[in-house]
Amino acid sequence: MAKIERKTKIGSEIPNASMSDIAFLLLIFFMVSTTFVKEKGLRVALPRAVAFQKINRRNAATIYVSRSRIISIDDFAVDTNQIRYIMQKKLVENPGIVTCFRTDKDTDYGLMVDIMNELKKAQALRVSFEVKKFL
Amino acid sequence: MNIIKEKKPRQRPRIPTASMADVAFLLLIFFLVTTKFDIKQGLGLILPPHAETGGKKVKIKKENLTKIKVNIRGEIAVDERRVSASELKTVVQDKIRENPKMVFVLEADRRCKYYMMVKALDQLLAAGAQTISLSTR
Repeated sequence: MAKIERKTKIGSEIPNASMSDIAFLLLIFFMVSTTFVKEKGLRVALPRAVAFQKINRRNAATIYVSRSRIISIDDFAVDTNQIRYIMQKKLVENPGIVTCFRTDKDTDYGLMVDIMNELKKAQALRVSFEVKKFL
Repeated sequence: MNIIKEKKPRQRPRIPTASMADVAFLLLIFFLVTTKFDIKQGLGLILPPHAETGGKKVKIKKENLTKIKVNIRGEIAVDERRVSASELKTVVQDKIRENPKMVFVLEADRRCKYYMMVKALDQLLAAGAQTISLSTR
């Protein structure tokens, strides 16, 4: 009688050589397709200072004020008398909001006074004047 | 001659992948070092409340009050006495040492430039002034 030959065991393995290819493909896909939400704002030259503090981005509402007296909030050009309403709405959403001024250093201070008076009326009293570090 | 040519086992072409990780780490470290995060930094301040919207008028004694004025040319005066921008810090520090409850009122001319006010405010904060009131009239 012929011996019944025992079958050699077939190893069950998942091929993982192409795993990294898949990972890279996914990585590249997300790198290419991700768009960051970013405020464009206005082009401003910030004044320089030494006694600055860091600002928490989560609580920051940025107001851009350019040299040519354009005011921008959330990439909308606004008028001085609209600021009160906008800031009140922001305060309801987040009571701890800090208004950050990104103002050009050569802006007329009178305009800033007008904006700050509007902030006072909206009771958005915490402000921060964004500056750049001295080199 | 009876040399039998031995058949060489055919080598499969391979791309060396051992240094792949090194390359990846090099790139990682490069970007770690060169990335600069855009950190928001600014001069913090709390504005005095507006009179219309229920802001209580706070009476401050005259001896606890220092007025700092900035005029249209960016010149700074402390209690009607003219000081230079670099002197302001020491003047303010002296005032705080004399009276820790001192309130500083920063009043800048409407027609002056923004950076002039920021410069004065920066000096005040650098001197360690706790209570600064920004006059917006």
